[in-house]
Amino acid sequence: MFNSFRLSMTWLHTWFGLVLGFVLMVCFFFGSLSVFDREIDRWSIPQTRFEAQPMPSFDDLLLPIFQQIEPDKANYATQMPRLHDPAKGSMTSRLELPADRFWAYNTHRDPVLAMGVRFSVPTAHSSLKDMRIRGDVVVDPRSGKILPDDALRIGSAWFYPLHYSLNWSWKNLGYWIVGLAGFVMLAALVTGIIMHRKVFREFFTFRPKKRMQRSTLDMHNLTGVLALPFHFFFAFTGLVIFAGSIYLPVTHTLLKPIHDQQHLLEAERAGLPAERSGQPAALASVDAMMEEAKRRWAARDMAGDVGFLVVNHVGDANSFVSIYRAGSDRVALVGEGIHFKGNTGEVLYEEPPRSVVMSTNEFLTGLHLQHFEHWLLRWLYVAGGLMGCVCIATGFVFFVEKRKQQHAKVGGQGSRVVDALAVTTVTGMVIAAIGMLLINRLLPMDLAGKGDYERAAFWGFWLLAMLHAVWRSAAVAQAKPNPAWLEQCLAVSVLACLAVIMNWFSTGDHLIKTVFINTYWPVAGVDISLLVTAAVAWGVARKLAKRKDVNIGEHSVLILGESVRD
Amino acid sequence: MTSYQWLLLALLLSQSGMVWIALSMKVHWEQVMLHSAAESITSRKTLKSLAVTALMLSLLSCLMADHPSMALLVWIMLMAITALTVALVLSWRARLLRFMWPFLNLEKS
Repeated sequence: MFNSFRLSMTWLHTWFGLVLGFVLMVCFFFGSLSVFDREIDRWSIPQTRFEAQPMPSFDDLLLPIFQQIEPDKANYATQMPRLHDPAKGSMTSRLELPADRFWAYNTHRDPVLAMGVRFSVPTAHSSLKDMRIRGDVVVDPRSGKILPDDALRIGSAWFYPLHYSLNWSWKNLGYWIVGLAGFVMLAALVTGIIMHRKVFREFFTFRPKKRMQRSTLDMHNLTGVLALPFHFFFAFTGLVIFAGSIYLPVTHTLLKPIHDQQHLLEAERAGLPAERSGQPAALASVDAMMEEAKRRWAARDMAGDVGFLVVNHVGDANSFVSIYRAGSDRVALVGEGIHFKGNTGEVLYEEPPRSVVMSTNEFLTGLHLQHFEHWLLRWLYVAGGLMGCVCIATGFVFFVEKRKQQHAKVGGQGSRVVDALAVTTVTGMVIAAIGMLLINRLLPMDLAGKGDYERAAFWGFWLLAMLHAVWRSAAVAQAKPNPAWLEQCLAVSVLACLAVIMNWFSTGDHLIKTVFINTYWPVAGVDISLLVTAAVAWGVARKLAKRKDVNIGEHSVLILGESVRD
Repeated sequence: MTSYQWLLLALLLSQSGMVWIALSMKVHWEQVMLHSAAESITSRKTLKSLAVTALMLSLLSCLMADHPSMALLVWIMLMAITALTVALVLSWRARLLRFMWPFLNLEKS
């Protein structure tokens, strides 16, 4: 098909990169935002703007809350008919379901404590007896007050899942598309290196004063090569994270009998009861168990707080309490779990150091999921992610620049379509994200279904950006630049400033307060990032306006000032 | 030294290392120094050795600040960002990098 191996690789890089680049752009951009997802949550839910707390007392504060938690109505309605076996009697009512497991989860970035109860179903089908009905709450760990959890956590429940599932849960299709894009990303990196003849000689080369096609390709190569380890590892580890559960779930399909057997064997070896005994028993002091766990971690030179706590087989003589360390000082997601007998508090099992295979897996997943407390590395990740965005965006621009003259001559529309889609996925996506934050600050805090309006606003802004990009892309068919780039940069700039102003008006948290008076970096950081985005978008718009051949509208000229047309 | 100080040192060493690597390359040497690269082979070899040393010391500083697994990630990401900074400075203000090798006049004489 092609004369040389390099040409084959070029074809692969160009076309696979183009088609799945739009998905990769979403993954990289929202992945970058996800580095600070909890901080975006604090910005979007002002009632949770307080400092993160260590795991509070279980005996005094958490236990009474666990005893109040009820099975979730919606979860009961969907799960119960599926789990219930009519042959075993009548369906247990929601409030009569017995609690089987308590859990609480805390991180160094979450001021609120997530906790929940898993309720067993006494009349469940034998094959579904391990399934549970859930009841989850969010708590203020300072007071033990249960907080309303109906507000959309824009960072951790919208931007974060968007980067790995496109928020498209139907048949897990979003996960599969992202997985395919991640796989293509790996291929694109390899083929990109093969295509690029001068990787080392042009390692630092960027020539902005050369013509558009050359400078765009330089920037594409620069951001691709310099952050190559980052791009490779994030694409690869993204695939590793979902390999076992979604892409290749052999342990729950082909190897399920072996998996279940291994699970029982491991529980038996560790001395952790896999089943309830049926004998009721009271729970010993979990606070004492947490103290003992901290003492043991400190003895292993791993001092730290409790991050995750589970009480298994609640109220039963076989109950055991598993306590895991908040792994904020390590890349690997190691919890150094210590398991205690529930009714006596004695240590049943202390997890030994992991095998090489497990350690490698935990390092790779930990590298991507970044539970660690290292602000410099977090910002470096953001920079790496944004370099990925620039690499993909310049790939789109290069594709269009290379072909638009030819397409204009023959009346082709290919460049126009790609350019419109590129505008939609580059500036359009930023507009959607910032527009959502702006709507979050405009709508009243206690508005019923506020999250639904915010989701609708996100898609609405994005759709508008796409329609605008398509409408303005007619210029590309005549080999001219699409003025939508400039106009959407202006829109980004205006929206970002408005979001910061509205945050101030709606909460009183302006930057002087959050930086100097009542320092609160999660909110200050989001505000500063929005202002930097506004400044960068404004700068790009001015640069674009200086290009003689951009047919920008009167409004844009007025906003940017006439001098830019000189 | 605190971990922040070690990380700052790692950043400075990585930045220096990347500048010296760039200056050791023929095209960037001529771009920055406006002096023939062929006549400065010794200087460029020295720069390359300095660059490697600086980057290794940068890794060492990262290791002093953090657990090895974390330190490795910080070091790799620092190199990516500092290399990008060098590329951008070379594009707009290349002469600024002269101060990282102030021995050109000595060499000319």
